Amino acid sequence: MSGLAKLIKWQWSHHRTAFAGGILVALIPAIAGIALLGVAGWFITAAALAGMSGAFLNIFLPSAAIRGLAIARTAGRYGERLLTHDATFRFLTDLRCRIFEGQAHRAGNGAKPRSGAALNRLTSDITALDAVYLRLVVPGILAGAVGLLSVAWVASISLILAIGPVVLLVFIAGLSVHLMTRKKRRDARRQEAALDAVRLRTVDLVAGRRDLAVYGGLEAAAGTIRAAEDRLADAEEAIEARSSLLSACTGFAGQVALALTLAAIIWTVGEGGVAIAVAVAVLLVVLGLPEVVSMIIPGLSKLDRTRLAAHRAVEGVEPNGTGSRSQGRAVQNVADGGQQKQGQAALAFERVSFGYPAAERQVLEDLSFEIAPGEWLALVGRSGCGKSTVSALASALLRPDGGSIQLGGQGLDAIREEELRRRITVLGQKPYLFHDSVAVNLRIANPQASDSQLWQALEVAALKDRISDNTSGLQAMLGEGGVGLSGGEQRRLGLARAYLTQPDLFILDELTEGLDEVTAAQVLDGFQRFRGDAAVLMIAHKQAEIDRADRILRLDAADQPMAAAAHWR
Amino acid sequence: MIVGALMSAADVNQAQKMPQAASDPSDKEKGLAALSEQETRKLKGAGRLFALSDLLWIAQAWLISSVVSSFVAPEGNLDGGSSWRTVTFLMIFVLLAALRMFLNLQASKRARQTARAVKSRVRGALLEAISGASPASALPSSGAVAAHVGDQVDALGPYLSNFYPQKIRVSLVPVGIILATATVSWLAAIILLVTGPLIPVFMALIGLKAKAASEGQQAELTRMSGFLLDRVRGLETLRLFGAVGRTKDQIRTVGEAFRKGTMKVLSIAFLSSTVLELFSALGIAFVAVYVGFSLLGDVEIGTWGAPLGYTTGLFILLLAPDYFAPLRAYAAAYHDRAAGLAATETLSDLDRDIRARSEALPASDSAQDTVEKLDASCLRPTVPIRFEGVSLTLGGRRVLDSMDLEVAAGETALLLGPSGSGKTTIIDCLLGLHDLGEGRILVGGRDLAQMDLMAWRQSLAWVGQAPRLFQGSVRANLRKAEPGASDEDMWQALALAGAVDLVERLPRGLGTVIGEDGFGLSVGEIRRIGLARAAMRKAPSIILADEPTAGLDDETAQDVIEGLKAMSRGRTLLIATHDPKLLCITARHIRLSEKIGEEVEA
Repeated sequence: MSGLAKLIKWQWSHHRTAFAGGILVALIPAIAGIALLGVAGWFITAAALAGMSGAFLNIFLPSAAIRGLAIARTAGRYGERLLTHDATFRFLTDLRCRIFEGQAHRAGNGAKPRSGAALNRLTSDITALDAVYLRLVVPGILAGAVGLLSVAWVASISLILAIGPVVLLVFIAGLSVHLMTRKKRRDARRQEAALDAVRLRTVDLVAGRRDLAVYGGLEAAAGTIRAAEDRLADAEEAIEARSSLLSACTGFAGQVALALTLAAIIWTVGEGGVAIAVAVAVLLVVLGLPEVVSMIIPGLSKLDRTRLAAHRAVEGVEPNGTGSRSQGRAVQNVADGGQQKQGQAALAFERVSFGYPAAERQVLEDLSFEIAPGEWLALVGRSGCGKSTVSALASALLRPDGGSIQLGGQGLDAIREEELRRRITVLGQKPYLFHDSVAVNLRIANPQASDSQLWQALEVAALKDRISDNTSGLQAMLGEGGVGLSGGEQRRLGLARAYLTQPDLFILDELTEGLDEVTAAQVLDGFQRFRGDAAVLMIAHKQAEIDRADRILRLDAADQPMAAAAHWR
Repeated sequence: MIVGALMSAADVNQAQKMPQAASDPSDKEKGLAALSEQETRKLKGAGRLFALSDLLWIAQAWLISSVVSSFVAPEGNLDGGSSWRTVTFLMIFVLLAALRMFLNLQASKRARQTARAVKSRVRGALLEAISGASPASALPSSGAVAAHVGDQVDALGPYLSNFYPQKIRVSLVPVGIILATATVSWLAAIILLVTGPLIPVFMALIGLKAKAASEGQQAELTRMSGFLLDRVRGLETLRLFGAVGRTKDQIRTVGEAFRKGTMKVLSIAFLSSTVLELFSALGIAFVAVYVGFSLLGDVEIGTWGAPLGYTTGLFILLLAPDYFAPLRAYAAAYHDRAAGLAATETLSDLDRDIRARSEALPASDSAQDTVEKLDASCLRPTVPIRFEGVSLTLGGRRVLDSMDLEVAAGETALLLGPSGSGKTTIIDCLLGLHDLGEGRILVGGRDLAQMDLMAWRQSLAWVGQAPRLFQGSVRANLRKAEPGASDEDMWQALALAGAVDLVERLPRGLGTVIGEDGFGLSVGEIRRIGLARAAMRKAPSIILADEPTAGLDDETAQDVIEGLKAMSRGRTLLIATHDPKLLCITARHIRLSEKIGEEVEA
């Protein structure tokens, strides 16, 4: 099933009442608008005939109908806009949840975090997807329903009169089918790729001007942006040209339908088959029909963009084909889960290997080590040697290609996710802080923590004064417009968050990197007091950190720059 | 979601601005995105073509009503002559329809091409400002600039190609239709005249109410859009604390709250579009009722003497819907206006900001005849460096004061001094990024100011404080230093920088895409690939390194130092640093005094 169809199905099953309600209410103004024109045409013609012949004409009914339809059209339009937007917002909320879930699942399979650009694309995709219901589903069903109703009514009067509206409907239907099934639809993709290139290269041009001046040249870099911009303009030109061609053709088709109906009126009324007043009503219905059926045109001309967004959003929700090794953590229900066996190592790596499928070399090969309960192990080695990979493997963010990892005697695969997270706390180099209050950020670690527990954790992390100085205290917002925490303070907030957990194993990734010596010592002292008898896996390169460890494991690569230097003259 | 809110905001905006819509504030302001006379003319022309196409409907409506009326009120006879007349009328009708289609296509083509030209002009001007600024000047953040060059410029498109022509159209078509109606019936013209302009009045009244609600909602929307993104970015953290499930519920709650708030605002904002709908429905209804009663003989006023006939009655009824159509199209295009005007403003601001902050790049890039041309062969041997009484003032600060400095060909020199003592400025001067106030810099005995600086920069090797790798593969990044380099050359350079292991482990080796949208590398990894990039220049005229070990762990720093040592053999090397680890390099030490950098007396 295509991404678009899947999204429509999701939206339908998410809230059927809202989905159907919006469409049903949308029918009211569409039908009332056309009927208004039809009744008006009939009324003035009948009035003219009555005026000439002096015959009696019930004027009360048609003039009441005209007023009533005018009001129905107005009220219906208002109701339609409210209901269709409500249905769309409901669905987008649901879609956000689904995407978040999908992304969580994806991350659970060890996929790399998405880049900023990919995340931005995802957000703009969600924005573009309000078009699915508002611009495609509702106008599409409306065009079909109102078109068929009109044709049925006209055909019941005279088949010949129906030729005009049928021609219009067939044209629109043919156009829709053609656009839906078109194989070549590169323009939206080209447009997006070009716009991405413009953005990324501009970032490079602004942020890397010194580098570009020496390597490649600033003018050349600006030139590549201009080239991308040219491609962007070409793609946009193609998309807009098609869109204006679509609406011009639809307008013309409507006029041809009008001319055909006029010709059919001359034919049928001349033959005496149809009353002229009814025929004029038909004529005005055909005059009003294009407005309703062409409501699908804006949706159709943006179809490629919407499909692209739908495709990616569905991928974001169901990230299946992200990589060959993403089978997901097989989480089993283990009977004795949770109990750390006595005498077992807190963490054990046994001949663990890891590498990227297309890389030229494995990141880790046959790595084995153990950490005893309560032991503090420092893992050292130059950057790029795989230290961070060890941390990701131990915290089950990545899965090894070979070998096994055990936590307290149990294979990581055999421990349920919640259980695992309770038993391991990871303190990264850069804790991610959410644009939310201090309390929300802390309670990520422990939703049940009381305010006094939060203050306690902040105190251990030497951040209590900083937060209590702010009038909003725990409710102070972080980030733009809120508390501006320095890099070191952010690290300590991450630390406070970790102090709300009680794990068997701490994994520390360059805990004091970027902190001055005094603060670093404070942080390490605080941690040492807090950790109790939990084991520690510490990734470190600063001597002050390494000194705290019970044992040091060197993870080194053989690659020596001195040996290579000989090649270079 | 954003589209929905824009609609509501646009509705509100529209309500407020509609009465004075004809005069656009942007027309007066001369900013970066201001239209030239020719562009304005073209857009107006496009709008007029649209209007002409609309007005042709008047002729078509007359044709229809004369054909139909021959059945209702046969003024003559239905003989052959009349049916010939009918066929002719129908053919003219279709020809006019074809002409209208053609006019519409022409109009949109013109508008589109003008919009494209303007966008290209604005982007070009911004890029020129950026690439013409010296890399030593502090520009606004790269993310903000990229968003402007990308999306903000794009927002000008719909404003120019859609809104602008609609603006012209709405100022012409209703007037034409009222005039056509008035030739038949002044009363019908008055009905249209009253229902039409009343629309903006009522929309304004409702819009005022919606405004306050909408402003609060706008802030909520910003929060909402950021919420999901923020949580997805922090997904790893959420996962590590087992908070994924809880967060999902939270996203649902926030989304629902947002929906309810937005619907409240929209329920007011949509009232303004309902007013438009109401008046256009009423306008048509009134005209129909008036025409009907006139034909019945119940109403006898409203015309210029002779009573309303069927032909003229049907004619004005057919015109009525097209009187309101441009108003509706204009209202629908209104959110393009808001976005376009906002973009116009921020783009002009950015342009001014960039130009205000930037110091012009020394001009010899243009390589005129007076500039001594450097050919690669004479540059490639390593050269000595000599500063003669160089003074430089940047942003009111005297950064260099009668500076003398000499590094012999093939010598390694360490430029030592605390931060702020002008180390980076000296390196920047050698890169040709500053116009010197006094004195001169000689490289290989030649005055740098007289050289083709572009060629000069491409001839040296340089490692910056925070090397920037670009969006693209590792291979493409290394080739920036040496366009024709082979993979073998690259592995050698990587070996020198101690980065072979690192690249071998990347998901696709040399082909791994890195940079903004690529595989994330750590600071140390970036530094080593940056060093490898410098090492790609196999015979550089000089080697410059600016704080090459800042922020690196001991082992990576050692790799970088070894790499620099290996590169320095037989080359002129200048390293600016305050890292004691670098003191192990055998080199002449140049100490910069701290007093440099004092404020210049004005």
